[in-house]
Amino acid sequence: MTAAILLALAAGMLVTLSRQINGRLARDSSAMGSSFWNHLVGFAALALCAVMAGSVWPAGAAQAPPHAWIGGAIGVIFVAGGSWLIPRLGAALTGGLLIAGQMLSGVALDVIRGEGGAPLLQGAGVALILAGVVLARRR
Amino acid sequence: MTAPTSPSAPPLPQIAAALGTGALMTLMLLCNSAMAAAAGPLFASLTAHGVGTVFAAILLLWLRGRGSRAGLPRGRAPLWAYLGGLSGALTVVATSWTANTPLALTGTLALGLAGQVVLALVFDLTGAMGLVRRRPAGSEILAIGLICAGAALVILARRTGA
Repeated sequence: MTAAILLALAAGMLVTLSRQINGRLARDSSAMGSSFWNHLVGFAALALCAVMAGSVWPAGAAQAPPHAWIGGAIGVIFVAGGSWLIPRLGAALTGGLLIAGQMLSGVALDVIRGEGGAPLLQGAGVALILAGVVLARRR
Repeated sequence: MTAPTSPSAPPLPQIAAALGTGALMTLMLLCNSAMAAAAGPLFASLTAHGVGTVFAAILLLWLRGRGSRAGLPRGRAPLWAYLGGLSGALTVVATSWTANTPLALTGTLALGLAGQVVLALVFDLTGAMGLVRRRPAGSEILAIGLICAGAALVILARRTGA
């Protein structure tokens, strides 16, 4: 269990590390350039993993719905956005606001799809996030 | 070493851009989890990176065709600066493992938030990887704390309701 906790923490840290490294590359190229390299290098690493796992084209791949294929295109804008934001807002506020945007839109999507969780907890969470976003504007 | 800069209040368009970019993450996860459900997390991440590589290349060529300097080097980045994608690929491997432990998805997400923010604060304070060294304002740290607490509640609400 301790190992799982440490690994989950480390996974979060890897997200920040990746954004920081991409931000550094963007400084000498561009936000979109850093997103290109991020995806190319990640693809090469994962392709190696897939070959080693002997699973390059899993059985279910052909049955995946069309929208399952476009996540990568959205990710390109997401990574480029992070590289653009990090020199402007700093790593911590960039991370915090990205999380806020993800959570608020996630709740909106849950509500649209009628998949809400506990409404009170959810409402309290949204209120705290909104308060944080407003406070981010203050100095 | 120069003193860390204390940042001024960020302009509204930048905050809006960050929130909008964060919302893209929700759409991306929706797509990628559909692929993961059909063909497993490794294949989902592999295709996301493959499709992303092609899409980014097209965007770069399009930007350059419009006379933008995007993608043309402004300076010489060190070799390690090209390896951000390795870290991203490792994240997939780590989270698809922890999601199958007693932590489940909820614990994985909540701890991931904590890991992200703590390391980001350290990076800001130290100016890691050659980015600007800055000391986050008190209100900024409070803002991030509120966002994380709210995010934890949203994640918890999802599990309680499911």
